[in-house]
Amino acid sequence: MSRSESSKQGLICPRCRSGTTEVLANSPVEGVWTIYSCKTCIYAWRSTEPEENTNPDKYPESFRLKAEDLAKFPLVPTIPPLRRS
Amino acid sequence: MRAFKNLREFLQLLDAEKQLLRISEEVSLEPDLAAAGRAITQLSETSPAIHFDRIKGYNKAQVVLNVHGSWTNLALMLGMEKDASLREQFFEFVRRYEQFPGEMEHHDSAPWQEVVIDKDVNLFNLMPVFRFNRGDGGFFIDKACIVSRDPDDWNNEDLETVGIYRLQVKGKNRLGIQPVPVHDIAIHLEHAEERGQDLPIAIAISNEPIIPVAASMSVLYGQSKYKMAAVLQGKPYPVVRTDKGLDVPWGSEYLLEGRILARQREPEGPFGEFPGQYSGGHCYPVIEIDKVSHCKDPIYEALYLGVPWTEMDYMCAVNACAPLYVQLKKDIPEVVAVNAIFTLGFIVIVSTKRRYGGFAKAVGLRVMTTPHGLGYAKIVIVVDETIDPFDMKQVMWAVSTKVNPAGDVTILPNLCIDLLDPASEPAGISHRMIIDATTPVLPDRRGNFGQELDSPQQTDDWRKKLGAMLKELRK
Repeated sequence: MSRSESSKQGLICPRCRSGTTEVLANSPVEGVWTIYSCKTCIYAWRSTEPEENTNPDKYPESFRLKAEDLAKFPLVPTIPPLRRS
Repeated sequence: MRAFKNLREFLQLLDAEKQLLRISEEVSLEPDLAAAGRAITQLSETSPAIHFDRIKGYNKAQVVLNVHGSWTNLALMLGMEKDASLREQFFEFVRRYEQFPGEMEHHDSAPWQEVVIDKDVNLFNLMPVFRFNRGDGGFFIDKACIVSRDPDDWNNEDLETVGIYRLQVKGKNRLGIQPVPVHDIAIHLEHAEERGQDLPIAIAISNEPIIPVAASMSVLYGQSKYKMAAVLQGKPYPVVRTDKGLDVPWGSEYLLEGRILARQREPEGPFGEFPGQYSGGHCYPVIEIDKVSHCKDPIYEALYLGVPWTEMDYMCAVNACAPLYVQLKKDIPEVVAVNAIFTLGFIVIVSTKRRYGGFAKAVGLRVMTTPHGLGYAKIVIVVDETIDPFDMKQVMWAVSTKVNPAGDVTILPNLCIDLLDPASEPAGISHRMIIDATTPVLPDRRGNFGQELDSPQQTDDWRKKLGAMLKELRK
């Protein structure tokens, strides 16, 4: 199975290319669309979107992410120290 | 002045005024909805709202976009003539703002309590969320009014805040939220997290038109957005109290209740943001939704956000100008008008009389220390009181003829700015600039300003006469 074919079934994340994907939701009208989500980078996509959002091979280079990119995301707002009771 | 009880009543008015376009063809969530939301504001400054009722994958879903997306729709929201100019809307908005505070009207129940889901919440079934821009990290709710209270002063209703923050739908009942530190909800979250407690919140979606305008205003901390909405609509603002003790709008289509989880951060974004740039990714707080209530056959309202101008630029225009004007005028009565309509007020234009030389620069500095100015007002242009700051032809004439960069441009290094400003470095830190485009007055003797032209006698009379004739001609 090619990468494109596997992406159609939501097996590879178009953004970070990890295999940690899951089905998030299905259309209320059965069989129209499926929403997938990536547990690694939290990207979500709908099966009926244009290919650049659903196909790892066509996902725009400038929006792609790697695991090390996620580690650099700034933490906002900062978590304050717990108060002493 | 007019108060609308809910979104549907406002849509009826827009329909009657030919400011609502109903799309009868079946549309895809992507890319149709965002594309239509983008396109409608490219057509005109008088564009209508657009309503869809055939959405692929849903039985009865309805989506409305661009409700606030033109000067015409904003004028109708304010109960003004629909061709009221931006300047007229500004002064009317200020007049109402100065009546603050209005009153809240407490109700025991609300129409959105018709359908209640308090287990197995699945937001994707309940509302047709969709992707706005291709690089967005997921599906976002971007026009919801989010209500929170200060855990350190829970019963103080004036510290209850209503704000619009983007929400990424990450799971069936899980959202990401962007509480930027300059926003009031960040104060509430900090207090909750210091206690190690979740912060209860309520999310009101598809509201009557005035509360999103009040929610996106920079009022002073402790000024209730509901009491602001009340003066803006000329009638007490109706609310209902949730089981958790939050006052929420009576006239919404959806009400989501949940918690910002204490001390948790998770990847969020990117999202195509108001400066016309993607926000990049951040680790932001997370919300769990415990309960959803909604009207029967609810309408889902969203806002396309992209390179200006989009609906947001209309919605966050006069409501950015008015607080700045009132707050400035309090200390500096010489201020005549304030224009902060561009990109949430990253650039602000102030027209003012000058008490003495150097005065305009002081006005520019004061703009930067107002609550809104702290996060915006990167560039402040100060013009004479004779210049209409809403007329760019006049402003550019002032800048081009009154400014000598040798003494009229002041750069202030490394001040704070909204971290979404893509030019800031690091994010959230930026130099700022004051451009003094006023005519120097003593003891400032710079320049060779002699006698300024004025209009011929009777020009005002002729303008009125010709204006009436033109209106007749174009009927």
